[in-house]
Amino acid sequence: MFASIEQTVAQLRDQQYLCDRKLATVAFLALHMRKPILIEGPAGVGKTELAKAVAAALDRQLIRLQCYGGLDEAHALYEWEYGKQLLYTQILRDKISRLFEGVGDLHEAVEQLHLHEDVFFSEHFIVRRPIFQAISSPDPVVLLIDELDRAEEQFEAFLLEVLSDFQVTVPEIGTVKATTIPYVIITSNNTRDLSDALKRRCLHLFIGYPNEQRELDILRMKVPALQETLATQVVAVIRRLRALELRKAPSISETLDWARALVLLNADALTPTLLEETLHLLIKYERDTQQVNERLPWIVESLQSRSPPEASAAETLLHPPARPAEPDVNYLEQRRQEHTARYFTSYRGRTDGRTGG
Amino acid sequence: MDAVINRFIFLLKKRGVRISPAESQDAMQALAWVALHDRDTVRTVLRSTLIKDVRDQPVFEELFEQFFSLPKASPSPESVAEPPPHPETAPEPPATVAEQTQITGQPDGDNAHEDALDIRDYFDDESMATHFDSHQDANDLSLAEFGQNLLLSRNRDLLDQVIRKAMQWLKTRRMKSVGRAGELNLDEAIVALNADVIAEAVTELLDELNDMDVDKNLIQRLSSRLDGGIANLPELLKRYLERELALQPPPKMPEPSRRAMPNYRFSEQERREMTEIVQRLCRRMRGARSYRRHISHHGRISVPLTLRRNMKYEGIPFQPVMTHYRNEKPRLVVICDVSLSVRNTARFMLHLVYNLQSLFGQVRSFAFVSDLVEVSACFEQQNIDEAISTVFDGGLIDTDVDSNYGHALSLFHNRHLAAVTPQTTVIILGDGRGNRNPPQVWVLEEIRRRAKQLLWLSPEPRGSWKMGSCDMSLYEPVCHQTEVVRSLRQLGRVAEDLLRRSVTPH
Repeated sequence: MFASIEQTVAQLRDQQYLCDRKLATVAFLALHMRKPILIEGPAGVGKTELAKAVAAALDRQLIRLQCYGGLDEAHALYEWEYGKQLLYTQILRDKISRLFEGVGDLHEAVEQLHLHEDVFFSEHFIVRRPIFQAISSPDPVVLLIDELDRAEEQFEAFLLEVLSDFQVTVPEIGTVKATTIPYVIITSNNTRDLSDALKRRCLHLFIGYPNEQRELDILRMKVPALQETLATQVVAVIRRLRALELRKAPSISETLDWARALVLLNADALTPTLLEETLHLLIKYERDTQQVNERLPWIVESLQSRSPPEASAAETLLHPPARPAEPDVNYLEQRRQEHTARYFTSYRGRTDGRTGG
Repeated sequence: MDAVINRFIFLLKKRGVRISPAESQDAMQALAWVALHDRDTVRTVLRSTLIKDVRDQPVFEELFEQFFSLPKASPSPESVAEPPPHPETAPEPPATVAEQTQITGQPDGDNAHEDALDIRDYFDDESMATHFDSHQDANDLSLAEFGQNLLLSRNRDLLDQVIRKAMQWLKTRRMKSVGRAGELNLDEAIVALNADVIAEAVTELLDELNDMDVDKNLIQRLSSRLDGGIANLPELLKRYLERELALQPPPKMPEPSRRAMPNYRFSEQERREMTEIVQRLCRRMRGARSYRRHISHHGRISVPLTLRRNMKYEGIPFQPVMTHYRNEKPRLVVICDVSLSVRNTARFMLHLVYNLQSLFGQVRSFAFVSDLVEVSACFEQQNIDEAISTVFDGGLIDTDVDSNYGHALSLFHNRHLAAVTPQTTVIILGDGRGNRNPPQVWVLEEIRRRAKQLLWLSPEPRGSWKMGSCDMSLYEPVCHQTEVVRSLRQLGRVAEDLLRRSVTPH
């Protein structure tokens, strides 16, 4: 249990999750106020990790609901198990026909059938999907609703009942109240605004990129094999990359990947060539690569100054040198393909129909 | 405490942050869970419970700094004592006690401008010792601390009341005295201030202190300094006014612009109406049905698919397969003219763009005068007022050149045509006045060929389309639809119209 804010920080640290007081305060409050946390922030800053760390720290099971375009209540809340219902009717055919032995006309038969209707619409025939599972679990769990912004707005409406009252209404059965209150964490990548009704029910938390010192700490904790000087260099380069106007700035997860790669490569220190060779671990768009290559001298500059992070004026903003003049239209013309590809790949709808089943 | 937080919320709301009563309640509840003496914790708690939009955070930070901070204008040492306690100035309970004494009233007015040593007189060794004696247990200590914090804030509330009463009194005084017009003559008025009013309020405060079971010592001190409080009132009044002034929204910095800027701010009413209309428009665009049936969990049972899937159960339909027509997600490309000729309606247009952007999943918006620039990111990250002033301030594009539709359109064609797919609806906002530059109609034709729908909303009435250098007559036949929209009402009508008419892809 998170007994105090300090303890929350410590307990999360035990789970290899370094967080500041701000985050810990919200995590602590969420547990005691029984309110869901809504976490927003760029991709890869540890939103999902927080849920895992909280689950481990509280020793609870983590139930995860990954949202996607077209997600509906049948996948998130519950679903009737048609197959089982049909199978049961097939198997119980004699029993059912025996039911109607003494029955005269059709009217009576229907009446008779009505009496036994609830046999087939009972909780036995409900497939529990993540949210239902979370509230009906005998032990409290951590429910992670990941990337809610990917689901449609209508889906948010399904969540409202669960989030504020911790109950699910199944029309055929009635309202199912939570046996235990789950610790709910909702993450959003901010691709669209969530509805006010949902936001109102949550504690809001914005996680951004960490400052230099924290990032260094995280790096030391997660990649212990990384040498100290190298870690400082890695963080310095990452900071400069973030100062550029990239389509996708490298986040913590990318920093960690890069650090692990450097360890694998047995690097002692970061050289400009090594940086250039491993840049694709950090930069995910062709256009960004272009931009980084243009400014490479400026980034490499950070490798020379071996000053510890404390000395290098921790919070001063980094200003990349001015960009060379905008390339002409013909060059942009060449990039049309890239644009097209990006547009098509960014379509998030499901076209594959149902999976499994 | 409730009153203080309520006032803070009120000020936040005044600055345009949406806070519902439920959220205010949450904030109060949350504060009960944490220690109030830590400023950063209080800040985090209030932020996470009240602020649900990243864009509102700067406003919150600024106001928090102003509201819960030390007034810097006052040079006297008692200025250090402002609730809620600062971690540095109020590290331990005695200091908090001192603050209370300070706020309620300085013991004697003479000391008001003496140096900081002054403040130490209030908790001499003796009183500190008694204080610590009575709360040796660590738990007790924090409890007392909490109680005193609570008290402190109530205390301030009461102080506010006292001062309001005093101000009222002052106002009536001013009516009588023949002073300089519109100026508050404090010195003169304070002398005549009705001491009863204040004495009454301070007694009230003392009663409250008694109720709350705090340090007896403190109460004694307070009551002995009742007279001092009155004597010191002008100082308090000054501080109160200063604080109120500090909390006023800062005067807008004069724009560095060459022209007088129109007002870009939108009233809540305007925002709501616009959102409503755009939502309706949005529903119309959603209404487009895809022609492919998708397997889903609702819809109709598809016999062939069901049979096929249930072959393994000897044709007994254990797993019914249902299909339905899925509505396509609308994709939107908005191209907005922000040039001088449409400047008076551009504000409205950008408002529309902003709303479209926040309601649709995939919107790319562009602004142009002669050059064209994508503003989607800027509109996503900033709030509406900021976003619009960013566009007009000329940081992104030069807004002072003549508009050139042909150039802008061909730039769009070269750079961003990939954004137009058969699912895309393209909306162009502008008057089509290209200043006799080549209109490049072929670009628009190209866009139309690729897009599902091409909509042109012009702020100019149809009659003037043929006058001057307007190219609308060339552009109009290319578009699926052209509409005149220059106000919310007209936009509402267009939305209705679109709803009624079924616009099928060509």
